[in-house]
Amino acid sequence: MFARLANGNVAPSRVIEGQATNLSRTMHGIAYDEINDEIIIPVALSGAVLVFKGDAKGEVPPVRAIQGTRTRLVRPHTVAVDPVNNEILTADPSMRAIVVFDRMASGNVAPKRVISGPKTGLLDIVGLAADPIRNVIIGASRKGNGDQVGLFIFDRLANGDVAPKAFIGGPKSKLAHFRQVAIDPGTGNIFLAQQNTRMKQMEAYVLDKPREGFKLKDEDDDDSDSGRLDTMGFVAVYAPDDNGDIPPRAIIKGPGIRLAGAAGVALNTKKKEIIAVGGNGFQTFLLPDFFRALKKPGSTNQQP
Amino acid sequence: MRRILISTAAATCILLFAGGERSPQANTDGPSEMTALDDLLAEDCIDEVATGIAQAARRLPQEGGVTSDEWPPNAIGGVIPPIRSVSDPFPTFDGIALDTVNDKVIFSDENRHSLLVYDRTAGGASNDPAEPVQYVFGPKTKLGFIAGVEVDPVRKEFYTVNNDSGDLLTVFSYGDHGNVQPRRSLTLPHQSWDVSLAPKRDEMAITVQQSNAISFYKRGATGTAAPIRTIRGLATELEDPHGVYFDEAHNEIITANHGNWTQIRPYSPYDPQTTDVGEYKSGAFHPSAITFHAADANGDVPPLRTIEGDLTGLNWPMGIDVDQTRDEIAVANYGDSSVRVFRRGDRGNAQAVRVIRGALTQIVGPVSVAIDTKNDELWVANYGDHTASVFPRTASGNVRPKRVLRNAPKDTPTCGFTNASAAAYDTKRDAILVPN
Repeated sequence: MFARLANGNVAPSRVIEGQATNLSRTMHGIAYDEINDEIIIPVALSGAVLVFKGDAKGEVPPVRAIQGTRTRLVRPHTVAVDPVNNEILTADPSMRAIVVFDRMASGNVAPKRVISGPKTGLLDIVGLAADPIRNVIIGASRKGNGDQVGLFIFDRLANGDVAPKAFIGGPKSKLAHFRQVAIDPGTGNIFLAQQNTRMKQMEAYVLDKPREGFKLKDEDDDDSDSGRLDTMGFVAVYAPDDNGDIPPRAIIKGPGIRLAGAAGVALNTKKKEIIAVGGNGFQTFLLPDFFRALKKPGSTNQQP
Repeated sequence: MRRILISTAAATCILLFAGGERSPQANTDGPSEMTALDDLLAEDCIDEVATGIAQAARRLPQEGGVTSDEWPPNAIGGVIPPIRSVSDPFPTFDGIALDTVNDKVIFSDENRHSLLVYDRTAGGASNDPAEPVQYVFGPKTKLGFIAGVEVDPVRKEFYTVNNDSGDLLTVFSYGDHGNVQPRRSLTLPHQSWDVSLAPKRDEMAITVQQSNAISFYKRGATGTAAPIRTIRGLATELEDPHGVYFDEAHNEIITANHGNWTQIRPYSPYDPQTTDVGEYKSGAFHPSAITFHAADANGDVPPLRTIEGDLTGLNWPMGIDVDQTRDEIAVANYGDSSVRVFRRGDRGNAQAVRVIRGALTQIVGPVSVAIDTKNDELWVANYGDHTASVFPRTASGNVRPKRVLRNAPKDTPTCGFTNASAAAYDTKRDAILVPN
C-alpha cells in the first residue's frame, strides 16, 4: 500500500505478506470494497479468493477465504466487488468463466452465478469490473487469433452460457494485450489498461508440455519488454453504451504510460485521478475530463 | 486528435512542464469547476519526475500506430505526463550464483531486468554502491522478470530464468557485456523460477511455479527442446516450487515450496475454450516445505522426505544452497527475513540448526543464498534492501554481516514490485493498493 501522494522511489507504507496470509507471490487482481472496508485478492496459484480487513498489515490471515471443490475455482486471475448487491466476482481463465459469489461467502461454497460457455466468447479473462448502477458486468478477455479480443459486457444477472449484450473490440479498437478494467460509477465510463498493441504472444508450452507446432520467432524480432514505440500500451476510456469495433473516446499514451506498462488501472474518482500500474511501478494522471460523459468519436467532445 | 485536451488549468500546468504549446481546443469549464481543479493542482502539482517524462514525450517520434497523433480520432487525451510516478531506478538483487574458481558472484536483477557480475570479494563497510565488473542489460538480452541464476565455472557461463515476460532460459558468457544477445536460449514453461546445473549428468533442473513441477533438460538444450523428464503430480508434494538444488553427490533434487497448490488447466488465449477436463481437484494452502526427490524421478512420484511443520519456521522459502562439507542446507526465508540452515538429512517437523535473523543481520526480504565452502562464507541476496550480505559460513543469530555489497546508496528504499499488474484505490485511507 502506498500513500496517494507517494512519488519517486518510495517503499510501501504497508505490506500484507507471509505464510499466514495465504497469499502467494503471484497475484494479478485486487478490489477494494469501500462500503465494508475490505480488500479482495485472487490467489491464482491456490485457486482461492481472499478477503482482508481494509487496515490489514503484516502477516495476518484473511477474514474470509473462498476455496474448495464447490467453488470450482482453478486459477482466479482478477476480481471485482459489488458492495451494492453484496457480491464478489472473480474471473478465472482456467475455468474460462466469470464467477459470482455472495460477498460474505467463506470456505467451500458454490457460486451464485457462473458466466461461461461458447456463447459467452470468454477465454483468457484478465480484467473484470461490476457496475451496479447500470447493472452490467464487464470482462476483458483475449483470444490468440485476434478474434473476440476486447471487452465483453453482460447483464449483471447473466448466468450460464449467454452472449454478451455488447462487445468492444476489433481492428479499429487496437485492443490486444490488455489486462485490468475499471468503471467510474459516476459516469459509467470504462477504463482499460493495455500493455501492448500487439496480441499476447503464444507460449511455447501448454502448462508443462511443449506446445505442438510452436515455432520460435526470428532472433532479430524484438520481443523484449522495451517494445516498440508504435506498439506501446495505453489506458483507453469508453462510454458506458459503447459497442463494436470503435477506437477509445479518451486515451493516455506516451512514454509516461509506457513506463508503467499499463497492466492495471485504478480510479480515484474524488480527485479525478487515474492510476496506471505495470512493470515495476505506477503512475498517477490527473484528468478531470475523463470523469465526464464522453461524446462519441467524431463529435466535438465538448462537455454536454 | 488533440494531444492534450483537458481543462484549462490542468493543461496549463502539464504543458508548462511538457514545454509544448497549449492545446488550441482545450475544453473550457465554468468557474466553479476551475476552482476545484485549481485546488487539486495546488495540492498535487507535477514534480521533477513528471517533468522528465514530459520532456521525453516531446522527443517521441509520432511514427504511426498507437503513437500517431491521428489515433484515436477525435479522442481526448493523448501523450500525457503523470503528476506522480513511483518506481525504483536501481537494480535489485534476486538470484545469486557464486563462482569460487574464477572469483565472481552473479546476481539476477528482477527490477531492471539485468544480470550483474561482481568480484567475489566485492562489498565492505561503504554506504555507496559497488560497480559491477560486468553487466548484461537491454532489449537484445531477452531478459524479463528474471529470478534464479546459475553459473558454470568450467565453461565460464551463467544462466538465468525468466519467471515472467519471455518464458526463456538464457545463457551468457563471462565475456558478454551490455546489450548483447544470449549465447543460447531455451523456451521454458511459464512461471519457471530457478535453475540448477548437474555437471556430471550434464543436465539442469528447472522449477515451474504454476505447474507445481520440476522439468529436466540437457545442459546445452536450446530453442524449443523438450524436457527429458518432469516431476509433476499430486504425489510429488511440489507446491509453488521456487529454489532448486540438483544434489549430484547424493542423487537428490532439493526444492523450496511456498505451499500454494492448484491443478491448473490451460488458460492462455491460444488454448481452446475447454471447460470440461475431467476430475476436478480444488486449490489448497499447504505449509511451506523443502522436498527431496530422487534425482532420476519422473512423473507423479512422492518425495523421499520432506521438511515441513511449525518448528521449521519455513515461511515463503526462496533460493536454497547445499553445503556439501557440513552436510547442510541453507534457505532464504523471505517471509520472516531470515536464513535458515537445516541438516541435509532432516525430515518432518525439524528445527533449523542455525537461523540468521534480526536487525543486526540487515537481512530484508531475502530471495537467495549461496554457500562458499572455499572461503568459508555465506551470501544472502536481499531483495528488500538493495544489498547482498556476506556472513561467516556458520553465522547464527542476530549477527552483523562481514561485509555488505550495495547496488544503491545506503537506505535507498525499494518499491518492492516484481511485475505488478493491478491496482485498487482505498478511498478510506487515500491509499493505492497494488498486489505483487
